[in-house]
Amino acid sequence: MLAVLSVEIRKLNRSLALVLAATAPALIAVFAFSMLLRSETPWEWERWIGSATAIWAYFMMPMCVTALTALVAHMEHGPRSWDHLRALPVPRWTLYASKAVCVIGLVLIMSAAVLAMTIGAVVLGGLIKPEAAAAGGLDLAAHAWILAKIAAAAVLMIALQFWTAIRFASFVPGLVLGIGGTFFGVVATSAKEGVFMPWQMPVNILATEAWRVQTALTLGGGLGLVVLAAAVIHLARREG
Amino acid sequence: MAAIETVGLTRMFGRRCAVDSVSMTAPKHAVYGFLGRNGAGKTTTMKMLIGLLRPTSGVARVCGVDVAQDRRGAARKIGVLLEAHGFYAHLSGRENLDLTRRLLGLAATEIDRVLEVVGMTRDGGRRVGDYSLGMRQRLGIARALLGSPPVLMLDEPTNGLDPDGIADMRLFLRELPIRAGATVLLSSHLLGEIEQTATHVGVIHEGRLVVEGELARLKAELAPEIGLRVDDPARARAVLQSLDLTLSEDAGGLVARLRPGNDHDQVCAALNRELVAAGVAVFAIGARARSLEGVYRAASALSQSRFAESV
Repeated sequence: MLAVLSVEIRKLNRSLALVLAATAPALIAVFAFSMLLRSETPWEWERWIGSATAIWAYFMMPMCVTALTALVAHMEHGPRSWDHLRALPVPRWTLYASKAVCVIGLVLIMSAAVLAMTIGAVVLGGLIKPEAAAAGGLDLAAHAWILAKIAAAAVLMIALQFWTAIRFASFVPGLVLGIGGTFFGVVATSAKEGVFMPWQMPVNILATEAWRVQTALTLGGGLGLVVLAAAVIHLARREG
Repeated sequence: MAAIETVGLTRMFGRRCAVDSVSMTAPKHAVYGFLGRNGAGKTTTMKMLIGLLRPTSGVARVCGVDVAQDRRGAARKIGVLLEAHGFYAHLSGRENLDLTRRLLGLAATEIDRVLEVVGMTRDGGRRVGDYSLGMRQRLGIARALLGSPPVLMLDEPTNGLDPDGIADMRLFLRELPIRAGATVLLSSHLLGEIEQTATHVGVIHEGRLVVEGELARLKAELAPEIGLRVDDPARARAVLQSLDLTLSEDAGGLVARLRPGNDHDQVCAALNRELVAAGVAVFAIGARARSLEGVYRAASALSQSRFAESV
């Protein structure tokens, strides 16, 4: 599994995945930076990081997961390399599992980048405009913990996007699923039933009701791992 | 033990039978030409040999290892060049080979070795996206050679090559058993390519293996043929109808296929006599070289007549 994972990372290193991984958190940081320059009064650190985290969980993460899964799938669909890979004397499930691990790893890296880049943008903005510099203390561990829970709640969404992107050689089914999921996630955010929708589970980690947080974590994380395992088994066993 | 062996290998797609009870044997160190039209079942058979498709029934073995029972064990014995190369265009040839080398757990020196075998040491550092089709084919063969597998399976290796590239590839493939000590299974729909490369052939027609064996032996077993170039083929046909032979026509003129045991020179003289006596001008008459095309045509005709009988 480690050899397959290292090969997957090498392929990703030379692809546009890292550009995507850097761009999405950077956009959130640029937005925070612009907001700070427009602000006349200082905001608390919690408000800055909280806003960035919400933007990330609300729609940036679902869109990035759609793009990332399409990208890792099309690294093989594009040059039609599945037959070559599947004919090698390696367990087939490792080919798919390593890709899934890479996607989850990239989502975690992007989550950390959201935190790091937002802090950087707010610090920089504060240097340029001291009267709007962030106030109060920065509880880095608490923010990192919330972002980790958001990533955990996203596993079900990642599993579904991953399954679709690898299963179909065309990128259209994966994009339709991702765009559709994000759309309903955005337009129906306030719906209580939204917590049962995979694309809304990450943002439900920020809910004030404890049951919503628990449900998002249990379904998104727990069921997500089950669905991910089912996807890997199904993809490894199917022909072609 | 054969390098490749299938017994009653069958694959159905729904109600359509793509491969029908194929029993083939490729001896060790042979260049086995697997011949058939597009859609005849070559690729399906090959995919079953490398475990990409599961047989509906029958057995496929590579160096004695049952592919269905031990796919990974069989895959260790076989290097594959597929029609879709599956190279990452943004990586260099060397980097592409390195990915497969890592998956196979081989030493880094393997890359230099296989690049040298295919004569691509100088181009290994270039992006695959900048390679010609011929270079991609050779890189594909280099990748198949990683780990020195005892069997190489090459699907249409001369596809898309220019005439010089085809000639180079033929020479390369002929030398592979000596260079790499491997058995080569070579699929193609081009008779000339197989004839000039293979030591053994298997002809697949509508999913069935209709002929198989050592190429030289199959050609020797062919009924002798006499080629005729005359001024009026229709009249010549009518004149020769009474003789005990089979007449056909191709781009080179009339072809008379003799019965086994017929004396070639005697029949030639008789044909000439009959035609001249009937006033047909004979421009050329002589023995035709026994070719793989003859083997293929005879096998296809036999298969069709068997099919017609069974309907």
